[in-house]
Amino acid sequence: MLLEAILIALWAGIIGIDLYNGLTHIHRPVVTGLVVGLILGDVTTGLIVGGTLELIWMGMVPLAGAQPPNVVIGGVIGTAFGIIAGQDPNVAVGVAIPFAVAVQGLITLFFTVFAPVMHKADQFALEANGKGIERINYLGLVILFIFNAVIAFLPIYFGAEKAAAFVETVPQWIIDGLSVAGGIMPAIGFAMLLRIMMKVEYIMFFIVGFILAAYLELPILAIALIGLAIALYDYYQNKHKQGPTPEEGEITDGI
Amino acid sequence: MASNHYQYEDTTSAQDLPPKQIRSLAWRSLLLQASFNYERMQAAGWLYSILPGLRVIHKNKKDLSKSMKDHLEFFNTHPFLVTFIMGIILAMEQKKEDREAIRGIKVATMGPLGGIGDALFYLTLLPITASIGASLAVEGNILGPFIFLIMFNIIHFGVRFGLMRYGYRTGVKAIGKLKEGTKHVSRAASIVGLTVVGGLIATYVTFKIDYTWKQGESELNVQTDILDQIMPAMLPLIYTLLIYWLLKKGRSPILLIGITVIVGLIGSYFGIM
Repeated sequence: MLLEAILIALWAGIIGIDLYNGLTHIHRPVVTGLVVGLILGDVTTGLIVGGTLELIWMGMVPLAGAQPPNVVIGGVIGTAFGIIAGQDPNVAVGVAIPFAVAVQGLITLFFTVFAPVMHKADQFALEANGKGIERINYLGLVILFIFNAVIAFLPIYFGAEKAAAFVETVPQWIIDGLSVAGGIMPAIGFAMLLRIMMKVEYIMFFIVGFILAAYLELPILAIALIGLAIALYDYYQNKHKQGPTPEEGEITDGI
Repeated sequence: MASNHYQYEDTTSAQDLPPKQIRSLAWRSLLLQASFNYERMQAAGWLYSILPGLRVIHKNKKDLSKSMKDHLEFFNTHPFLVTFIMGIILAMEQKKEDREAIRGIKVATMGPLGGIGDALFYLTLLPITASIGASLAVEGNILGPFIFLIMFNIIHFGVRFGLMRYGYRTGVKAIGKLKEGTKHVSRAASIVGLTVVGGLIATYVTFKIDYTWKQGESELNVQTDILDQIMPAMLPLIYTLLIYWLLKKGRSPILLIGITVIVGLIGSYFGIM
């Protein structure tokens, strides 16, 4: 089992990177099913379980930073369990989902603790040190690889059922709480943007954007287009007031 | 901070980037989310993606440092469509555009492209190609995964590389014309940017109270019966403004992220969120 567990761990590490970087989507369960099936010597079962998991994860995609149950670990553990235990694909799904949810909680945690590294990045930028910036990004990749490889290795080597029992000892409120926090988290990024861009004269546009989304529930593209319309009006109004300079007359023709 | 316009030490426009370099930057954009985190999201990966271009454009070390620092500010968009923004921004950098205009365009484009990308790729392309692949796989057909990967990636890489070229060409052409009215352009970009940020807060910050107050026969859901009646997306707005206020007070983003995790845990523990 050791060799198989190591090979599966390597695959999990690679597709753990692909989930966020590369995005060739070899991390989808339909592909993982084939690969884990090859490693464990039962391609047909691998394909069937992988395909079943794929259909379940179809709607679970990372939309705007909201994190669904982790598809990498869900796919790997689900397929491996389905083949090793010779279980029905739907039972494999039942084992895979709690793992996937718990792992996504851990990834939320990782995205949180990686934030301080950005201050090191600021320092590299100040020194115009490009190599430093590159190293920070490679560090992120290495951590993703190791994290996914280890998480995949342990349950397969020690037995998926034992591991599932362990996951169930983590109180539900902690897992739920991390997911709630993940939903609120974009507020921090938006507040930082406001801090950079906001001036008193712009508050009205911010309010308009908010109302369009909150009350009228318009999609972001529609809101951006309305913002663009206001901006164009404002742009030509201002230019009109000042009177076009010779060079600016030329610009007006161009747009 | 925002009112001080940065003056480039070297104001001459740089040469056009060769097509080979443009392509290599599109390859680098594959690592956009390598250092993803909740403070800046894709910022360091974004800087990584355009970095070789910036190095060619800004020979002056102080200009390069200023540009790198600006590009470490919060950034988040769809990872396939990011190359379009890269193209435009590199064109602006090359023409030594006003730094606030560069920031404004970046912020104004990342939100809409994020939404379009989600709709196009995660809600349309992925379900279609993956369901074709999965339907073959569940019958034990080994072609399933391959058909999925080929269909998906032809479109994925076509979009990624095509938009890089298109964004850069559009940027170089359009910006030459805009150069003179930089102050107005900055203002226009800020208007679009802030309108979008207002919309993003209401759309993507999920902050809900999940508690129903019961007395006898009557039930009162705090979220839908009270808060939403006062104003939809009220809690996301209040929380974002609270964070904004704390940031202005000089609190560190890390502390605020920590507080947010604790808020989530407390809310979940008491079963009210």
